[in-house]
Amino acid sequence: MTLSLWHFLAVGAAVFGVGLVGFLTRRNLITMFLCAELMLQGVAINLVAFARYHGNLQGQVFVMFILAVAACEAGVALALFLNLYRKRRSLDSSDWQELRELGVPAATDTEPLPKPVVEPDPVLTPAGARPEPTAEEVARV
Amino acid sequence: MSDPLTLAVIILALPLTAAVLAWLCAGNAKLKHYAHVPLVVACGTAAVLSALLLNKMLGAPDKASYVSEPVTWFAAGKLKATFTITVDALSATMLGMVSFIATFIALFSSGYMHGDKGYPRFFAVMGLFVFSMLGLVLANNFFLLILFWEGVGLCSYLLVGYYFEKPSAAAAARKAFLVTRIGDTGLILGTLMVWHLGGWHTDLTAVFEHIAKNPPDTAALTTACLLLFCGAVGKSAQFPLYVWLPDAMEGPTPVSALIHAATMVTAGVYLLARCSPLFVLCPDAQIAVSWIGGITALLAAFIALAQTDLKRVLAYSTVSQLGFMFLALGTGGAISPAFAVTAAMFHLFTHAFFKALLFLASGSVMHAMGGVIDVRQFGGLRKLLPVTHVTFLCGAAALAGLPLLSGFWSKDLILESLVEAGESKRPYSAGYFLLFVVACTAALMTAFYTTRAYLLTFWGPERIPHEAGHHAHESPKVMTVPLMVLAVGAVFAGAALQPFTHWFGDFLGTAPSLAQADRVPGARAVEHHLNWTMMGVSTALALFGVALAAGVYGNGGAEKAPTGLEPVFAASRSKLLVDELYYAVFVKPAEVLAFLARVFDSVLDGFTRVVSSVPRFVAEAVRPIQNGLVQFYALSMALGLMVFLSFVVFKIAR
Repeated sequence: MTLSLWHFLAVGAAVFGVGLVGFLTRRNLITMFLCAELMLQGVAINLVAFARYHGNLQGQVFVMFILAVAACEAGVALALFLNLYRKRRSLDSSDWQELRELGVPAATDTEPLPKPVVEPDPVLTPAGARPEPTAEEVARV
Repeated sequence: MSDPLTLAVIILALPLTAAVLAWLCAGNAKLKHYAHVPLVVACGTAAVLSALLLNKMLGAPDKASYVSEPVTWFAAGKLKATFTITVDALSATMLGMVSFIATFIALFSSGYMHGDKGYPRFFAVMGLFVFSMLGLVLANNFFLLILFWEGVGLCSYLLVGYYFEKPSAAAAARKAFLVTRIGDTGLILGTLMVWHLGGWHTDLTAVFEHIAKNPPDTAALTTACLLLFCGAVGKSAQFPLYVWLPDAMEGPTPVSALIHAATMVTAGVYLLARCSPLFVLCPDAQIAVSWIGGITALLAAFIALAQTDLKRVLAYSTVSQLGFMFLALGTGGAISPAFAVTAAMFHLFTHAFFKALLFLASGSVMHAMGGVIDVRQFGGLRKLLPVTHVTFLCGAAALAGLPLLSGFWSKDLILESLVEAGESKRPYSAGYFLLFVVACTAALMTAFYTTRAYLLTFWGPERIPHEAGHHAHESPKVMTVPLMVLAVGAVFAGAALQPFTHWFGDFLGTAPSLAQADRVPGARAVEHHLNWTMMGVSTALALFGVALAAGVYGNGGAEKAPTGLEPVFAASRSKLLVDELYYAVFVKPAEVLAFLARVFDSVLDGFTRVVSSVPRFVAEAVRPIQNGLVQFYALSMALGLMVFLSFVVFKIAR
């Protein structure tokens, strides 16, 4: 069996489909973002396959661009998620519905999800403070 | 400073400054009560400067007029309006008269309006009023003239509607504005026509020069003149459009004095005097001016016969006297225009004194009577208000035309101009003679109604309306002093200036526009002289009218009428139903039209509302889609894309 264009396209479509379904069904922002990346890569596979099929480099150059842009996008998106998380202590995308039309009630879950256990942010000793000596500590000279 | 043009500009700027200062006073609770000071000082200074200016003009007979350098206001193609003023005998005389009268009216107002809550507003608008009038007088450009002309109209609107809480005052202000607006339309059209005929010039002097050099078609010029006259008819309250002036009594009394004597109604007379180089070229327009004047003089005098409102009698008398001025203006061309204009302007000058006096005196009466001005409700006030009584008598005698008083001399001049025009060999001389008879009748009526108003107010049994309470007393000094000054003017201004020395006529004759008008061929030259026959006739008329009124009203009784004339007096009391006629013919149809327009408008509105409600309802239905859930949007997008792609794949690709 030789690998034809159709095989590549099938893989691309499968990856894209997985990404799409994931994006539509999962509510965790980071998962949704990863799914979006999957969709992107599915498209990239298509482009590479067609580049190979036509015997030119245009599709491949396009993919290079996609990779670069996706990397930047990942940086921005993760920064945004971090900020959102700091605000609500949650990564549930349905927590942010403020942009709906005025007068439309907010959508709520029929079966509420269990509250995730929220750990406090790690903190460091304030810089510049004198450390409190303890009794067990050996005094260093 | 010594340059006449600079002086004129300073005179013009003074009342405007006063208006601004008075307006600024409104913001401060303490300064509020001193809002009259800027206006009185400004008008007084303007009067002194005007005297200086007149003196300068008299001292330099070789240079009759000064025209300022034109500064372009706006220019579009051939239409170019400029800011330019002219100082000549005509405008200098008006400047002096307006500022002098305005000074005393302002002084009187400071007492009359004392304690009113709109005190600063009153003086601010009054300053603006005087400024507009002075600007109108000085303007040497038709468009500048229209600007100030409208300014005068605006200020009269603001002042007549000064008590704007009162619906009748608001209605009177609106009426004054709308009725004069009809005339103003004519003025603007006339101006454009003159601009066309006058070689595309808009400066008055340039237009006159151009028309003198290239006389245009008489019919076109007549139309232009009649259109200009239309503006004068509106502003000076002549026959078809006089109805606003009696209603303008709704304003405070000093405003009436200002409107009637100095600022507003004289504008029309002045316009015609200034444009006499145009009018003398069209005899048809001139006879129309005279006829309108004659009809107005007679009609208004007739209506004034039986009015019971003292101020209304005076208002109709103003309308009538303005008719006299137009009678005289219309004779220019048939007789020497300089003489005709002198007669009209001299009457305007003396009339300003005695009419301002009469209005201020009636204001003083009103002040004492607690706002009542109906002669049926008071009487015999001569002991209670001695100063007002004597000054009113001076004004009334001057208005009635009793010999040797100012009104007598100026009226004589008008009658004489009519007789001379009747004897001229020009067209329409018979018409002028008929108008002389009309003028004599009106003069007789004037003497009658003036005496009637005087007797009903000051003679007969003493009656005081209960509105006056127990503070019915003579007005304070600040009000009586202006009365006395104006009374002196009303008595002596006539005799001092014209009949024996002809100063007034000779001085006015130096105005270039009049000198130019005087060159019209065929006009009958009239020497300024004492016409003893005329004086006899006019004395007889005045005395007869006075005697008749004294016989009927010697003991009060405003409702009385001479026996046998009751129906005539009833007609006069009802103002010949002119207001009612206008209401039925013009106002009512307009109201019906307005109502229909409103109905039509509401139909249109309803239609557009129905149309606009469609998208609103659709939006209402689909709005919940916008629910703010990111995944819902993504799903909609995916499904939409799917539908679209399947359509592309299964329908189009096949």
